[in-house]
Amino acid sequence: MAHDPRIRFDPASGIPAVRQIADRLRVLLVEGQLQPGAALPSVRRLAMELGVHFNTVAEAYRELAAEGWLDLKHGRGAVVIPRTVPARQDDAWSEDFRLRMRSLVAQMRSQGIPAERIAEELRAIAKVVTRT
Amino acid sequence: MRLILCAVYVFVGAVLFALPNLTRRELLFAVPILPDFRESPAGRRAIASFRAAITAAVLAGVGVLLASPANLLNATATAVPLLLLFVAGISFYRQNRKLAPAAIQYTRPREVELTTAPEELPRFAWLAAGPFAILAAVAAWLHLHWDKIPGRFPVHFDASGNPNRWAERTLHGVYGPLVWGAELCAWVLVMALAGWFGSRRSRFRTTMLGAVIAVEYLLGVLFSLNAVQAPLGIPAWVILLATMAILIPLIIVMRNKIREPGGPMDATPKEGWKGRVFYYNPNDAALVVERRVGLGWTFNFANPWSWVLLLGLALVIASARFALA
Repeated sequence: MAHDPRIRFDPASGIPAVRQIADRLRVLLVEGQLQPGAALPSVRRLAMELGVHFNTVAEAYRELAAEGWLDLKHGRGAVVIPRTVPARQDDAWSEDFRLRMRSLVAQMRSQGIPAERIAEELRAIAKVVTRT
Repeated sequence: MRLILCAVYVFVGAVLFALPNLTRRELLFAVPILPDFRESPAGRRAIASFRAAITAAVLAGVGVLLASPANLLNATATAVPLLLLFVAGISFYRQNRKLAPAAIQYTRPREVELTTAPEELPRFAWLAAGPFAILAAVAAWLHLHWDKIPGRFPVHFDASGNPNRWAERTLHGVYGPLVWGAELCAWVLVMALAGWFGSRRSRFRTTMLGAVIAVEYLLGVLFSLNAVQAPLGIPAWVILLATMAILIPLIIVMRNKIREPGGPMDATPKEGWKGRVFYYNPNDAALVVERRVGLGWTFNFANPWSWVLLLGLALVIASARFALA
């Protein structure tokens, strides 16, 4: 039996709850673990399970709806919709994302994660990226 | 009657004595600890100290109850349990303070399945109708045996066993307690549903529902016995026995369930706990969360529905004035 995808929320991470929830859901959407047509739990249920306020989940859903990932219909909850990826012509984005990735890697290294382990993780991510 | 009072008092004392074991292994006196901390010298000392205070209070209370003159028994029967609860509260607080340095941080990450599966109640939930059926059956029996009911009968007794409130054989006098019992059961049923739909999915949610339904049965049975006490001449010890017959297995089952290894503790943040007992966390959408003291669950008082439910209870209690008049 196929399991529903899971998201993880760490209240002690220091990252705002809405950021964590939106980011985790986006990963699932980008990787195709949440396919168009899939329904997400209601705001009430997800907020209760994660131990956060209703508004936090509602805001994360709204953010993803604004990005074109979700359709929010009153009474129907949040449903994943097909999304056309906008084509980026300029290269300005690459420097920004590269900086953010380097910053993340630096953060991992500063927390004592071995370089080889980080490289392994990045290779695994690259595999998923090229597949989806 | 003194012996029954002493038995009830000792039972309450025994539950308080067992309190350190009536929580998850990761909690001791409301302090989150490592599960093996209980076996450490500090853990053993804290439990022994708490139990010594409870034992002393129970022994002193039994002595006072047995030695109290008959004309003071009513006052003693009220004061002694209050004193026991006071001693338990103070002792609990002291141990909580002592163990505070050993506390560990329990804000582990939560992992949630993104499921939209409907939240169906377990099959046994239909048993919640049982207490209403019992009350209705007793009402029907009273209707059929109307002539057996004395014209005036006692409905409340003081600590010495003497009746101090009477009712007459009228619709109000006979059925009023049953109606009030049904009101209380209805409130407990609403609590059961609120607990099911207002708490996080965990394997303890089913236990919680079962426990609340058991409490509903306890109320249904007690009010039914109370209603037929006059025509059948049921002695007080039978009512006490019926209470124990439901309460003791309930405590044992809940204790065993909650101490089963493997289930992660509901990681409610420390800042949400006020006075170690009340949970108030506006950032938590849950209506009901696992308690940190004793068995069971408690309201998140930051959720407005908790106040609506408490208001409902207040109204039910207030209605006793009319139902039991």
